[in-house]
Order: sequence, then structure tokens, then C-alpha cells
Amino acid sequence: MTDARPAGVRPQPPSRAPRNVGLVAASLLVLWAALTLDIDPAEILELPGGVSRLFYEMFLERGPDWTYLDDALEGMLESLQIAWVGTVIGAALSLPLGFFGAKNVSSGLVSTVVRQLLNAIRAFPEIVLAIAIFIPIAGLGPVAGALAVGLHSVGTLGKLSAEVIEGIDPGPVEAARAAGGRTLQIQRWGVLPQVLPEIIAFWLYRFEINIRAAAVLGVVGAGGIGFQLQQTIAFQRYALAGTAILVVVGATIAVDTVSGWLRRRIIEGTGARVTGEVVEQPELAEVRAA
Amino acid sequence: MSLPAATRSVRPAKPRPSLAVPIGLVLFVAISWASLSEEFGIGLDIGALIEDFTRGAGILGELLTPNWNFLPRTVEPMLETFQIAVVAAVIGCAVALPVAFLASRVTSPNLATFLVDRSLLSVVRAMPDFLYALVFVAAVSIGPLAGVAALVMFNVGVVAKLLSETVDGVDTGPIEAARAGGANRSQTVRWAVLPQVLPNYVAYSLYTFELNIRASAVIGIVGAGGIGNQLFTQYRFFNWSNVSVIVVELFLFVFAIELLSIWLRRRLV
Repeated sequence: MTDARPAGVRPQPPSRAPRNVGLVAASLLVLWAALTLDIDPAEILELPGGVSRLFYEMFLERGPDWTYLDDALEGMLESLQIAWVGTVIGAALSLPLGFFGAKNVSSGLVSTVVRQLLNAIRAFPEIVLAIAIFIPIAGLGPVAGALAVGLHSVGTLGKLSAEVIEGIDPGPVEAARAAGGRTLQIQRWGVLPQVLPEIIAFWLYRFEINIRAAAVLGVVGAGGIGFQLQQTIAFQRYALAGTAILVVVGATIAVDTVSGWLRRRIIEGTGARVTGEVVEQPELAEVRAA
Repeated sequence: MSLPAATRSVRPAKPRPSLAVPIGLVLFVAISWASLSEEFGIGLDIGALIEDFTRGAGILGELLTPNWNFLPRTVEPMLETFQIAVVAAVIGCAVALPVAFLASRVTSPNLATFLVDRSLLSVVRAMPDFLYALVFVAAVSIGPLAGVAALVMFNVGVVAKLLSETVDGVDTGPIEAARAGGANRSQTVRWAVLPQVLPNYVAYSLYTFELNIRASAVIGIVGAGGIGNQLFTQYRFFNWSNVSVIVVELFLFVFAIELLSIWLRRRLV
């Protein structure tokens, strides 16, 4: 009887040393961060009690105080408007930038420069843009907030659009060129129809995110529900804060639901993906693009 | 002699125009107009903005001349920001793991758990990060603990949502194999599901860490520790040359973390 298996030597397993060194280094970093952070251990134990006391005062004891509903709704409406205007600004500016940032549509140098510019914009949080650029220019108020949200959106939306455009099927572009289309016509008829559904889905998704981003702007005076939230909690008017929080959560979930439904309709209903790939969630695309 | 009917080319009827596009456009224009208008919305006026630009030019000039002597005072809060981001990301991602498995139809033990977990998750995600910071500052006190707690909530929302959607899409073959091999629920998750989603989990964790650095500027403003606190103080006293030092520093920091994260993700995923 012969052994079918050759009596060869087992290959060496790949070295685990780099991985182990990395893990140890990461653990040390986390340990250092946790231990040197200026936190009193006794306060950690107070945390659950403190939060449940707040919850009780906000929603059970005297709150939510429905007389505050009108104020809260007004603030939330302003936040929604800031997010909407910001998203529109971001969408309008990011679409051409997306074309310039896509390697297959623009040239290599231009796309690199545009991509880096978009990366740089993305690095500034909305609140920083509001404080350092738009409040000095436009003064306190929702306009500064909307412009800050808009500029930050240009960064993320531009990058996502460029990636979508880089993934197109080159067929229609060749066809448009073969039929004698000029540069702009090629973009309009060869590229845009392929990418528009996905890009619109990104716009909607960005609107959902911008609502959350717009909420904070009120704290620095750039409009929206953040002002009410901060004032009621800082002055311990927890019954009023409870109402404002319910309004924020309710409005956000409502917009998420409608927007999510619309996104699915737009992507699936138009047969956008000729390639038959699984439609990618904007969230996941954002992770990939980040 | 006429051609047989079959070869005569018949133009297919045009599809009926869909109402969705015009309705969508009308809604879009109406909402945008209302949001921009002075009366119903935020009152954005391009002409006034251009005029304002000259008024803001003085401040922008100050912003363009950073006061670098301020730099040493920002080191400690910046470090605190980094620490808060690290600790919150580790705790948040650890908590998000079981939450994500309970929030996916593939791995959730029963419909009730699935529905409860999903609804809780959408409430957690509906609260913006700074609102958590406000609540935790009120619940304990001003300081980094409130910041860590706020970012933990924020991270659980992000990672659990992303991961549960990834779990929804896993290959069911290994799950069937594990069940056929007699594995119980937790063994199935451990050996058939987790290995499939682990690369994604690592990517999401790094992504939230990046988000945390940016979010720390926000939560510091309401007193939850880190660089945001200092940014807000300098802003309130109109020390624009100090504000710009923090902004430049934050920008470089975010950029560096992003590069590091991209590099790590390429190596790990």
C-alpha cells in the first residue's frame, strides 16, 4: 500500500510576529489612554444613577412639558431647513467637482488636485467651519449654519460622486464619442444617466446626516434646535428638555424612514446597476471612501 | 406589392411618463424656496452675504495670522481629545458587537429580540452626539467622562447599524454547516458568522475612530472635555488668532489620523 500523500515537509506557517507586535502596541496605547485620562473612578459609578435620574425628570416626573412643544418644533424646523439648504449647496457644488475628481473623466493631475481639496474640506467639522469662517462673515444665525453644513457636504459628496463616476461602464461614453458628442455632451448623455440615481441617493443620505450635524449648530449661535436643547439642559429645565429631545428623535426617525424608502426606490426602481451588482448602502460607501 | 406585415418596423410605444420625477422636482423647488425665504425659512440672501464678506474681512484677516505662541497651551486638550476618542472607540465597538448580532435577522434568536434591538438602535442613532454630551455632562459633571460616554453611545449607533447590515448579507453556507455539525446559536455566530464579518468590523471600528476625532470638537463645546472646550472659549472671547491655531491643529490631526487609518485598513482588511 502506498501513501498517496507525499512525505513532504509541512510549509512554515507565516510569521505572526508583526501582528502580535501590532496588537501589543495597540493594547498599550489603549491602556495609556484609559489610565491617564482625567476621570474620577467614583464618577463612573455615578453615571447610571445620574442618567436614570435625568430620564425620570425629563419623561416621567413632570415632563415632557407639552407647552414647550411649539418652541421645540420651531427650532427643529429651523434645523431641518439648515440641513436642507446645506445639502442643496453641497449637492450643487459637489456634482461638477465629482466629475473633475474622477480619473476616467478628467485628467490625472486635475483629479488628484480636486480629490485633495475635497479631503481637506472634509477634515473640518461643520461646527469649526461655522465658528472660523461663516459666523464672522454672515453673523450669528441659521445662514451661517447652512453655509457651514453646505461646505462640509461638498467635501463628502464630492468624494463619493467621484468614486461613483470612476465606476461607470465605459460603453455609453464610447458610444457618445463615436457618435460625435462633444465633451460636455459625452458627460451629459454618457456619464450622468449612469451615476445620477446613486448620487441622488447619496444626497438624501447626506441630508439625514446633516440633520444630526445641524442640531449642534445652535450651541454656537448658528441656528436650530441645538439652542433649545442646550438652554433647557444647562438651566436644568428638564421637563422642557424632554419635549425637545422627543421632537429631535421623532423628526430624525421620520426623515430617516422617508429618505431611506426614497433611496431604495431610486436605486432599485430605475435599474441603475446594469452590472447586476448588489446595491451598495451609502453608509458602506462612506466607510470605503473615508 | 406590399411587404409582409411582420417585417414592417413598428416603433414600440413610449413608456408612459412617470409622475414621480415632476412631483419630486416640484417638491424639491417648493421646499428649497421655503427654506431659503426670509418669511418661512432661514433667509439666505446672496447679495447681503457678499456685502457681509467685506465686514467679516477683518476677522478673516485675524484668522489668517495665527498666534503660534498659543500652541503650547493647546497640547494638553488635544491629547485629551485623542484619549477620549481612543477609549470611546474601544468601548463603543466592543458593545456594538453583540448589539449588531441581535439586530440582524440572520443571527437574532427571535423576532421580538430583533425588533426591540432594531428600534432601540434607531432611537440611539437619532440622537446627535452633542445631545449625548449635554445629557452626560448634566448627569455627572463637566469633563472627559461625559465625553467618553457620549462618544460610546454615538459609536454603538454607527458600528451596530453598519455591522448588522453586513451580517444580513453573509453567506449562509457556513451557518448551515455549523448547524448541521451540531453547533448551538453562539457557536454558530462565533465560527460561521464572525469570521465572515471580521474585516468589515475592523474597517468600521477604524472609521468610527476617525469620526470620534472630528466629533470631539463638537462635544467639547458643551463641556465634555478635549480641544472643543478650548476652541469654544477662544471663540467666545473673539481671540480669532488663537481660534485659527486650534483649527489648523485640528485639521492636521484629523488628516494624520485619516492617513494612518487608511494605511491600517489596507494592511488589515
